[in-house]
Amino acid sequence: MLRTIKPKNARSKRALQAREPKEVEDPRTCIFVRGTHTGEVLNGVMKDLMALKRPHAVSFSKKNTVRPFEDASSLEFWANKNDASMFVVGQTTKKRPDGLTFARMFDGRILDMLELGVTAYTPMSAFKTQKATPGNRPLVHFASELFDANPRLAQVKSMLLDLFGGGEASDALCLSGIEHVVSVTLGPAPHTPSTTTTIPGQPEPLPTVHLRVFTVQLLASGIRTPRVELVPHGPSLDFAIRRHTDADPEMLKHAMKRPKLAKKDVESGLGKKRKNFEVDEMGDLRGKIHMGKQDLGKLQTRKMKGLRPALDEMDVDEDGEEGPIAKRRKDDA
Amino acid sequence: MDVSAIVSAQQSKYKSTVVEKDIPLEIDVGLLTVTDPNPPDEDAYKANLEEYLTSTARDGVQSLVAALFALPTKSSPDGPLALLPKPTTALPRSKPLPKPKPPTKWEKFAAAKGIQHKVRDRKVFDEEKQEWVNRWGKDGKNRELEEQWLTEVPANAPADFDPAKESRDKRKERVAKNDKQRDQNLARAQGTSLSEKKKEIERASAMARVSTASMGKFDKKLEGESKIRGQKRKFDSNEMSTKTENQRALSIIAKLDGSKKRRTDRDGAPAEESVVNVRKAIRHASKGKGGVALGHKVGGGKPSGARASFGKKGKR
Repeated sequence: MLRTIKPKNARSKRALQAREPKEVEDPRTCIFVRGTHTGEVLNGVMKDLMALKRPHAVSFSKKNTVRPFEDASSLEFWANKNDASMFVVGQTTKKRPDGLTFARMFDGRILDMLELGVTAYTPMSAFKTQKATPGNRPLVHFASELFDANPRLAQVKSMLLDLFGGGEASDALCLSGIEHVVSVTLGPAPHTPSTTTTIPGQPEPLPTVHLRVFTVQLLASGIRTPRVELVPHGPSLDFAIRRHTDADPEMLKHAMKRPKLAKKDVESGLGKKRKNFEVDEMGDLRGKIHMGKQDLGKLQTRKMKGLRPALDEMDVDEDGEEGPIAKRRKDDA
Repeated sequence: MDVSAIVSAQQSKYKSTVVEKDIPLEIDVGLLTVTDPNPPDEDAYKANLEEYLTSTARDGVQSLVAALFALPTKSSPDGPLALLPKPTTALPRSKPLPKPKPPTKWEKFAAAKGIQHKVRDRKVFDEEKQEWVNRWGKDGKNRELEEQWLTEVPANAPADFDPAKESRDKRKERVAKNDKQRDQNLARAQGTSLSEKKKEIERASAMARVSTASMGKFDKKLEGESKIRGQKRKFDSNEMSTKTENQRALSIIAKLDGSKKRRTDRDGAPAEESVVNVRKAIRHASKGKGGVALGHKVGGGKPSGARASFGKKGKR
C-alpha cells in the first residue's frame, strides 16, 4: 500500500487531482510487463500492441518475476504507482508457451484476468503499408455468434474492447480521421465428440481468436456513405484461450455502476424537469416567462391636472375605478 | 504515375455499400464498435482464412461506417465531426464513481439563503499605482498596511504601538480563522466535531491512566500531563426564594405520597414508556380477579413461579 500523500504545492496537488476518480473516465492506461522469460514472439507482440495502444501505454522493459495468477500484489502496486488500470503480462514457459495475461483493475485491485496464448504472429513491420497515427482511436469489430453464449468468450470480448476501444471521453469523431480497425473474429466452435454432452470438470474446447488490424480506406461511392475497403495493417495474431479468473461479483457490481446524470441533464437542471428553461444550440440557458393578461385600462399614462377627477365627481362616483385615487386625495387634504 | 487508386476508386463507385447479413449487426456507435453475431462460414474459413477474415471485417466496418456517417454532424476546421451518442455496451470502470463533496457550513448557509456563488478576482486594482496587483501572495494587496513606510497612529495609541505588527497580527488571525473553519468543515464531513473528538481522546487517556495496579498513583508522570479532573460536587445555596423552597418541598412530598408513580416503577418501566400496561393487561386476562387467580388457572395447581411473578400485583 502506498502512503497517502498530502500535496505540498500546487503542481503535486494538480497531479493528485488528475488521479482522482472521474465521472467520465479516460481510456485505461495499460502497462506491458515482461515476465521472467519472454521469447522473440512475445517481445514483438507486446511492442506491436503497445504501438496500437499508445499514448495510454507504459512499457516495463525489464524482466519481472511476476505470476499474476498466483500473486497479483505486484500488479496492484504498479497500478497504484503508475495510475494504470490494465496490464498485459508476457511470459513464456514450457507448459504455456507465449502466454499473454490481460489483467484489468478496479480501484487499485485486480478485477479479472485472462490468459491468451499466441499461436501465430505476423509483426506489424511485415506489412509494408502506411501505419495509423499513434493515439488515433481504432474502430473495433467482433465477429462470432459465441460472444454472447459463452462467459469466457464474453470476457475475451470485454477485455479486448476495453484495451482498444475503451474510454468514452470523446463525444465527437472526425469522420475523415477514421484510420484503422481492430478486428476480432472467432473460429468455428471446435467439434469434439463431447459437444452435446460436456464432461463435467473438463473445460469445453474454445475456438481460436483471430486478431487482425486493417487500415480502413474510405472510397467514394456516389452517395454520402463511402465504400469501405480494408488493407492489412498488422500485427496479425491468433490466440488460444487459456487460464482466467472471473471478476468478484461484488466488485463487478461496483465497477459497473454508471453515473446518474448525463451532462446534458445537468445542463438542463440536474435531472429534475425544470419548466420554462432550455439550453439553446449556442449552449446558452434561456428562460421563458409567462405573464398574466395585461389590463390596459390600468396603464399609468402621463398625469395631468386637467385629467384629474373633480372633487365633486369623486364623492358621487365612489365605487368607480378612480375610487382609490379619490380616497388618497381626500386623505392628503 | 500511379493510377491504381483512381482506377480502384472508379471501380468501387459501382460497388455496393449495402451489407446483407442473416442476423443484423449490433452496432455501438458510442464505442465505435460493431459485433457480427452471424456464425462463421466454415468452408470459407478453411479454404482461405485471411480472405475470410478480411471480408467479414469489411462487412462489419462498412455497416459501422454507414452508421457513423448517418450521425448528426457539426462542422470543424478539420472536416465534419460526427456527434457520438453515449455507449450502450457496459464496460467496467477503472475507479469507483466520485463521491459528492460534502457542503461546507458556508455552502449550506448560502444555499438556504439563496446566495449565488461569486468568483472573486485574484487581482485588485491599486488606485495609487494605477495597476492591477495580487489580492494576496507576492506583493499582495493584503500586506499593504504592514509594508507602507508611513502609517497613521491613533491618538490614544500606547508608546510601543507598532502599526506594522498590528496589521500583520490581524492578517495572521484571519488566516488562522480560515484554517480553523476549514478543519471544522473537514471534521463535520467525517461526521464528528473536533470538540467531540478531543473529549473522546481525553476520556480514553484518563481511563488508561488509572488502569494500572496502583490506579495511576505510582506511575511516572509525563511532561505536560494534566491532572485528572473528576466531577465537581455542587451544592445548592442555603438561601433561596420561598417559591423555589416551596416547590422543592412539595416535590419531596409528592414522591412520598403518590403511590401511583411508585407502582409503575415496580412494574419495571414507567407507564408512559412501556408499550403494554401490565396492570391493565393482568386485570383483563384474569377478568378482574387479579394475578394470583390467573397464576392458579394457568399452572393448574400452585406454581411457585407464577405466584412469585404475579403475587404482588394481584394483592392490590
